[in-house]
Amino acid sequence: MTTMREPPTNVPGPTLSRRQFIKAGGILAVGFGLVGSELLKGDAAKPPMLGNSLDPSLGSSWVEIHPDNTILIRTGKSDFGQGSTFTAYRQIVAEELSVPFAAITTVIAGDTDRTPDGSGAFDFLGHGTPNIRKAAAYTYQALLDLASEKLGVAKDMLSVKDGVVSGGGKSISYGDLVKNQQLKLTIPVKGDLTSIFGLTIEGDPPMKPVSQYTIIGKSYKNSVTSSKVAAQETWATDVRLPGMLHARVVHPKTLGSTLVSAGALDKTKFLNSQLIVKGNLVGVVAATEWEAIQAAEQIAGSTKWSEWKGLPGNARLYQHLREEADWISAPVAKGDANKGDVGPALASAQKKHSATYRLSYMKHAPIGPTMAVADVKSDGTVHIYTHNQNPQALRGEIAMMLRATPDHVVVHSYPGPGHYGRSNGGNAGAEDEAVLLSQAVGQPVRVQWMRADDMQWSTQSAAAFSDVQIALDAKGRIAAYQIDHFMPAMQDDRPIGAVLAGLPTMPAPQVQSESVTSTVNGVEDNWVYAAIPNVSEVGHGTFQVGQKASPIAVGLRDHSMRTPGQFQQNYPRELAISEAAALAGADAIQFRIDHLNEARAIGVLKAVRDASAWVPRPSPRPVLTSTGSTPVSGRGVSLMLRSGTYWACVCEILVTPSTGAIKVEKYTIAVDPGIVVNPMQLQRQVEGGAVMGISHALFEEVMFDESGITTEDWNSYPIPTMADIPEIKVVLIDNLKVGAYGGGSEAANALAAPAIAAALHDATGKVMRSLPMKPAYVQALLKT
Amino acid sequence: MITLNVNGMRRAVHAPDDTPLLYILRNDLQLMGPQFGCGLAQCGACAVLADGKEMRSCITPVASVANQEIVTLEGLPARWAKQKGLSADEAKTTLHPVQQAWIEEQTPQCGFCQNGMMIKATELLESNPNPTVAEIKEAFTHSGPSANLCRCGTYLAIITAVHHAATIMAKREVSNDHHA
Repeated sequence: MTTMREPPTNVPGPTLSRRQFIKAGGILAVGFGLVGSELLKGDAAKPPMLGNSLDPSLGSSWVEIHPDNTILIRTGKSDFGQGSTFTAYRQIVAEELSVPFAAITTVIAGDTDRTPDGSGAFDFLGHGTPNIRKAAAYTYQALLDLASEKLGVAKDMLSVKDGVVSGGGKSISYGDLVKNQQLKLTIPVKGDLTSIFGLTIEGDPPMKPVSQYTIIGKSYKNSVTSSKVAAQETWATDVRLPGMLHARVVHPKTLGSTLVSAGALDKTKFLNSQLIVKGNLVGVVAATEWEAIQAAEQIAGSTKWSEWKGLPGNARLYQHLREEADWISAPVAKGDANKGDVGPALASAQKKHSATYRLSYMKHAPIGPTMAVADVKSDGTVHIYTHNQNPQALRGEIAMMLRATPDHVVVHSYPGPGHYGRSNGGNAGAEDEAVLLSQAVGQPVRVQWMRADDMQWSTQSAAAFSDVQIALDAKGRIAAYQIDHFMPAMQDDRPIGAVLAGLPTMPAPQVQSESVTSTVNGVEDNWVYAAIPNVSEVGHGTFQVGQKASPIAVGLRDHSMRTPGQFQQNYPRELAISEAAALAGADAIQFRIDHLNEARAIGVLKAVRDASAWVPRPSPRPVLTSTGSTPVSGRGVSLMLRSGTYWACVCEILVTPSTGAIKVEKYTIAVDPGIVVNPMQLQRQVEGGAVMGISHALFEEVMFDESGITTEDWNSYPIPTMADIPEIKVVLIDNLKVGAYGGGSEAANALAAPAIAAALHDATGKVMRSLPMKPAYVQALLKT
Repeated sequence: MITLNVNGMRRAVHAPDDTPLLYILRNDLQLMGPQFGCGLAQCGACAVLADGKEMRSCITPVASVANQEIVTLEGLPARWAKQKGLSADEAKTTLHPVQQAWIEEQTPQCGFCQNGMMIKATELLESNPNPTVAEIKEAFTHSGPSANLCRCGTYLAIITAVHHAATIMAKREVSNDHHA
């Protein structure tokens, strides 16, 4: 078997670069397309084109078929470890074109000058119809039109197998079809290239029927995995440019400090270093990385900042959010599924559950701190080499910072440490700082954040709380469900270096926003319990904690993180439903099924029930204890609908009451995404998400005082080790009749928390209604 | 000048003695397998083998390893070829069984930590060719300066891949699967 490997994505260096490869291969690459395709009537609306960009209306900007029958595809979505661009995207294109998987020899992802559509590294499967699927479908129709003309056979008499079009006793390969052709295919697109969502392909080209699939559903390997494992990939961290200098940034003392005076460089020690100060941005640039690190440490020790104490600190966070935050200025958001009238049902409830649930701030915490290389040329052109989830949006932000137009900025995309949503709005932290330092010294500059920079100066997943009321009727069924979600703005896309330097950025999150950076807290958790007659879900939003009070407008900046917003809302919902089941004296899985109509939701619950050998009974367990040093067992369940995929998990735990330590022993998860594109890749995504979910549930809490974040490393922000992982069982439900591909990477990280909390209740009879469930907190709860 | 023995080659470097080995490997010797994860020996992304033992290059002064045999991720195939006495042609086309297994099992998600995971797996399998799940967990959690951390949560895939690598090593199987 041959495993494909991506051509190395190098910039000047020892190996053949992807750019060089394309250039060399490009001699053979003939763009093609077809004028006047039947599918495209009238003039397609076309967004304005930016310089230094591909024309998204050209078919060959998306799918390029070469005379040697190899195919190249391009997508604005950078890979962040999900592997979808290298596996699912290849499979989808190969399927729509009816070519072998191996024919898709090259995937170009993310680079702003070499990919057509922008948008972020999220929702890769686009609710079943990602851009690349439509691009391939349009291309297929154009190829059939062309073959019909060449072979003189009616289009509907043609069929394609392995890239060869046949009909009327004749046949021709795609490669021969496009040889020496100068043809045009117009792809209709809409949207704003540098916005968070980028461009979307319009129209409805016919797609291959699911019943004819031969490539989707198989476990193809991820080509970039091979090059990474063999140490042959060029990571963003590996990029070295001629004349490049190394830099470190000395971030302010607090999240509200202004610069009083920058320290002076000790030139006896740091001969080849330069200090750069722009407003409150302080950086050190040096010839070698070690000198940059040491010089930055010296500057950090001698630089003076103003003091600031504008944050509530961990201990007062909930009180601050509950009593001091402004929940008035942002309009409330109401859930799409709201119905009936919860008031009378709550008033006349036979039994009632009322509770508040709380979540802490969490970090994206990439395993490598953020970094970028920037090269600001003398003509004002900017090249950025980095690992970014939304290079086109970054390009727009850098242009805004420099008061330039986006055509001056090119972002080159490379693999790097996953950061789970942090840069889906364009920046992860170091990119703008690298640009400003490069501009100052007139040479390429590599900014590498240290571990503490990444913990303390990056954005976080927003803290939240929710108030829940559930009314049970005389039969123990839910008569009314009311939930009010409270969360500060969860997406701040301002580049931090630009903020510190006092340069133009988009506004901090505010009530009215042109982007997703609003203080309005939308209802994100897709409602599933359709059999409940009275439902009220309301979202309340506010400003980021400390941001308006901070003299430098920083404070605790937030950014969407895996399952953003929905995590904060699904956790209270699912734990509350488990508590309602207990109140009703019902089995937690059956209780859920009894309130569902959707067969797929019921299906995932039944799947985890079977796979975990769950024996129905009410919770808590009949013999329970909340004291002693003998571990007690418990189990819990949770359910979620996200991006067209139904998810359920069962967590079985052991908790030691005397220490409060929870160990997840067994984790069973069922996933129904509709069509499973690649079982092995989905399985790996789900396993990883499951472990991250256990981490969120048990370990993760950003610690901060009145001045800033005190979490600084892996000791103060622990994540699970291999010893912490349970037995994990993944059940994939390949539900072909759904006819679409649901998301697979997000959601798995959100399911564990409510299931583990329900398991703690099952084991001990006590409910922990806040995250994380650290031993000390659990121990304190069990003593009450 | 400091002379290092890296991946079987003598390499001369000009750098202050206290420079962490990681920066020498990456910036002076163009060995990009080890990654910068924390600079604190808390995660394992920067790991290399030093005389066959896993070492965190981010806190190790370069001068302190001048007399040790350093192997990076790039050097694993040659290490395996030497151990198995493969011909020069075979050696060129053969990855270390750990690398083969990592590909076969599709172990990485983002892959940034996997350098350290593969170094740790190699260290483990060279001393224990048939580790149990408990022994693998012990090795990856407690045998080094810190646990080897993976933020994407690939630990289960790593355990599977270690077992797969053990099987390949036991069979002395030479796979050519990784060729493009």
